[in-house]
Amino acid sequence: MLAAAVLAPLLSVGVGSAAPAGAAGASAGAGASAGETLYRSGLLSSGEPVEASREAGAALRGRDAACANCHRRSGLGSSEGRITIPPIAGPYLFTPRGKSLETLGVPYVDSARINHEAYTVESLTRAIREGTGANGRALNYLMPRYRLDDAAMQSLIAYLRAMDVTPSPGVTATTLHFATIITPDADAVKRRGVLAVIEQYFVDKNNAAARTKAPTLYSSHATMFRVARRWQLHVWELSGPPAGWNEQLRARLAAEPVFAVISGLGGSNWAPVQNFCEQQHLPCLFPNVEAPAGDDADFYTVYFSRGVLLEAQLIARELAESADRPRRIVQVFRAGDVGEAAARVLASAPGDSAPPVVDRVLKKRRGSAADLTAALSDVRPTDAVVLWLRADDLRALDAVTPRASRVWISGAMGGLEQAPVPPAWRTSVHLAYPVDLPGQRVVRVDYALSWFRLRRIPVLAEQVQADTYLACGLVSETLNHMVDAFIRDYLIERIEMALDHRVMTGYYPRLSLAPGQRFASKGGYIVRFTDAQGARVAPLGEWTTP
Amino acid sequence: MTATRSTRRLATLGAAALAGAAALSVAWASVISRATVTYQVPEIRLVRQDGRAVSLPHELDDGRPVLLNFIFTTCSSICPLASRTFEEFQSKLGPDAARVHLMSISIDPEQDTPARLSEYAQKFHAGAGWQYYTGTVDASIAAQRAFDVYRGEKMSHTAVTLMRAAPGKRWLRIEGFVTPDELVGELRKLLESP
Repeated sequence: MLAAAVLAPLLSVGVGSAAPAGAAGASAGAGASAGETLYRSGLLSSGEPVEASREAGAALRGRDAACANCHRRSGLGSSEGRITIPPIAGPYLFTPRGKSLETLGVPYVDSARINHEAYTVESLTRAIREGTGANGRALNYLMPRYRLDDAAMQSLIAYLRAMDVTPSPGVTATTLHFATIITPDADAVKRRGVLAVIEQYFVDKNNAAARTKAPTLYSSHATMFRVARRWQLHVWELSGPPAGWNEQLRARLAAEPVFAVISGLGGSNWAPVQNFCEQQHLPCLFPNVEAPAGDDADFYTVYFSRGVLLEAQLIARELAESADRPRRIVQVFRAGDVGEAAARVLASAPGDSAPPVVDRVLKKRRGSAADLTAALSDVRPTDAVVLWLRADDLRALDAVTPRASRVWISGAMGGLEQAPVPPAWRTSVHLAYPVDLPGQRVVRVDYALSWFRLRRIPVLAEQVQADTYLACGLVSETLNHMVDAFIRDYLIERIEMALDHRVMTGYYPRLSLAPGQRFASKGGYIVRFTDAQGARVAPLGEWTTP
Repeated sequence: MTATRSTRRLATLGAAALAGAAALSVAWASVISRATVTYQVPEIRLVRQDGRAVSLPHELDDGRPVLLNFIFTTCSSICPLASRTFEEFQSKLGPDAARVHLMSISIDPEQDTPARLSEYAQKFHAGAGWQYYTGTVDASIAAQRAFDVYRGEKMSHTAVTLMRAAPGKRWLRIEGFVTPDELVGELRKLLESP
């Protein structure tokens, strides 16, 4: 709010029509939406793609020419190699050289260097059409020259002018508010594990901040102080059927505005939460979800992994590459569990000569041997069996004779190498393994485990707890880089950039995101048990990205 | 290894801007620098966009002049420009296009599966002479190291185009945003030189 007030006089600099500054956003309403479409998608109000060109270079149009590709959705710019793409949200364009953005309440971003005269509508128009900057010099070759008529130009400039660089909801002068979301279908033990980690992380974070005395600053960079905000966690536990979750989430967000959602825990249906975050433009960072909703085209939810959906692709790939084509693929899953979604992915996996897929749905109580026996009664040695089952059902396999020569089991559902696969099944079982191998991840995971040990956090579900700790660490690290630019879209963009640098990646060999990438770890292994008992596994090939 | 080095398109630059790193964001892209370099490319197994496993040195040494760059398909700023430049370059060669081998190697190989690379190739109307490559993370890094373009992570990459007239010849390394016309000119010069 402070920033808006300070900026108000600034926003009218160079505006011919000099609309009252307070109304800039509102009056830009209709125009700005045309501007927004142009900015984000490269489409004109007619629906035609915008056309642009580069000096001596090839033409580009439409989505390829959208401003957001480089300047990003936030308008705060980015960097790639040695190229710095400057922020173009209003204040960064219309602030004159020498004015300190900081005293104007405009957040600091790495790529901001106000080494130009303040843009006016005229000079900005020239920049966009002809590639000449406010200082009269040619802009970077990367910046296209746009063919825009006056109306389109006006709508684009209005959009840039109205771009909000004030802190997002959930950010106050002293506190950053975060939520973590837990759905009622989530596993009760994992829930306790996740909450124990995230609650302790917030306590630690605030203790560390309290212990760190503000250093004596010889620089005028007051921004340095602004990062020392308290972190406050709001646990949003949903109840009832999924149809009611959106309403509950809206009510929680209205009552407790938060900057972002960190971690959390889902069961078999995360789609309502995913949709809510997209609708509200609310970052949802690394929720513990075995069957993620949404895809790479979404913006606000990022996941560590595709979980069981990735496992289905890994299994499909191994099947496709096998010289010995099975007669059928018999998939077994429990109604209402995530195996159902995974089974759908496997069944729809492309393949010219893919064998027919048969689904067997378990409906009795978990761990019922009779249920499993019935589901597998007609299996022959030439069939392939895929079991999307949890530990109690896997244990019950002890009473079932393995008939198929090849069996795949979901590691994510079964408990990775701890999956209680009975000895008789072990020789034929291939385990989908969407994380790094035990021996290779031990050092990285130990980092989290020693943190738990020191704080007396019980290890109830190692992977979700390590992932929760990793999520908190990633957000904390990213926020340090953001200094005081607490803007939700920018948070997502910075997470995308920060992830590649991360060395401590917990269960995953590496993490990487980019615009249009929403799953940070892309691959997995297929492993087998080496012994009739115990948890030793050996990979059946390399880390594969299906 | 560098035999010649020259910098062109200086007309748009002040001398001070060239010296000052602070001016990079404005001035850098209008500069291209050229260097003639010898690279030793070890055996590296890659996967082409058609799904076939191939050897990098083998692909490079098929006898044709070769142009090489490094891209990733979700890169939204530098790579689309590099790819458009290759596209335009191919179209400028016209019927001769397939006589020059264009190679684009992904620096984000886990994301860039052969299927995604095919889609990307289609978007840039890649003709018969233009192939895309992926592989394991280690293989991609090895390929980047072989041509001294590895910068640690994908967002640190820079615009580099490599060009060679024939197997056994030296490489021309072009840094910066080269235009399609310049590429045609450079190739012609390379082919004419003994």
